[in-house]
Amino acid sequence: MSDNKNNNGKIDTRTIQSILKENKKQIKLGLTMCAHCSLCAESCFLYMSRDLDPEYMPSYKFLHSIGKLYKKKGKVSAGQLEKMRDLVFCNCVLCTRCYCPFGIDIPSLITLGRRVCRSQGLFREYDKA
Amino acid sequence: MNPIISHIIPVEAIVDFIYGPLIWLSFVIFAAGLIVQTWRYKMMTKINDNPPLIPKKEIPKSETGSRWERFFYKLAFFRLSVMGFNPLLVTISLVFHLCLLITPLFLLAHNIMLENVFGFSLPSFLPGTSHLLTGIVLACGFFFMLRRIIIRRVRAITTFYDYLILGLALAPFLTGFLAHQNAFDCYDTLILLHILSCEILLIMIPFSKFFHMIFFFFGRFLIINEYSLGAPKRSWQF
Repeated sequence: MSDNKNNNGKIDTRTIQSILKENKKQIKLGLTMCAHCSLCAESCFLYMSRDLDPEYMPSYKFLHSIGKLYKKKGKVSAGQLEKMRDLVFCNCVLCTRCYCPFGIDIPSLITLGRRVCRSQGLFREYDKA
Repeated sequence: MNPIISHIIPVEAIVDFIYGPLIWLSFVIFAAGLIVQTWRYKMMTKINDNPPLIPKKEIPKSETGSRWERFFYKLAFFRLSVMGFNPLLVTISLVFHLCLLITPLFLLAHNIMLENVFGFSLPSFLPGTSHLLTGIVLACGFFFMLRRIIIRRVRAITTFYDYLILGLALAPFLTGFLAHQNAFDCYDTLILLHILSCEILLIMIPFSKFFHMIFFFFGRFLIINEYSLGAPKRSWQF
């Protein structure tokens, strides 16, 4: 994945924080109710086809993107955000087929992760992939 | 205890508090917390008049065909469910949660106390059955802990908090069992730890990951989604 240079390595923490604040209830609910059981793993076709790599597991993707952003209150480095970009854009195609025994809406949380990344000029450039 | 320490820390007063008011306080916080949190989460939902389109199940239901054909259709669907992929984990989880709930409720000693205080009690298991159920809870807990350590995908999302939650859930069972066996000849300490761990657990349930005991029913019975059970009518309104 080629790096986007749109953000020039600068992170606009305020914008991230406003997105987090706007969606606080939803993020908090997802983080509180995720029992870290990993039962969602097999529902992801990418996880199944990528040698069972945990980084493709639905819960891993939302916990290490929007979950991490929420816990760090939006204060992340450009490098960290680029890793999150790879998680939410490259490791997930938003097919919405993921299963959670508690009914956590994982795709919508990953979508929030994408929104934060896009706000910082980080996204998947399909023409450069 | 060293008299200097007991002079600085009012140990007896703390023990009295754990044995007395904290029990009632923890039950009140538990009950009120469950009600308030359930209400809070319910307020985050709304009846949805335009329910989202739910994809049909991948395995077609065979209305026609022989009994065997219908049976194999169902079997194929079952194989693709979470139970089909993780039969051991799902079975152990079900057994763990069931035993976690029924063991304290139908324990003889708890029901004797209930009878003494309120004048009524629930039916009780024989002591041997309670021992067996406690053993099952502890063994399942040990399985969950090992799973968190050994399996790569679980390890990848495990935090210290997960071990803490598991430890808190198991602590009342371990201390209760050890106290009953008068292990290490220190019944008083063990029963104090048993009561304290129960109180901490009760207080934490509504405000931590333990709340999944209620949230599970929200996610599966109240909110419209592909995996919901029954006929839910609500959606999240964040």
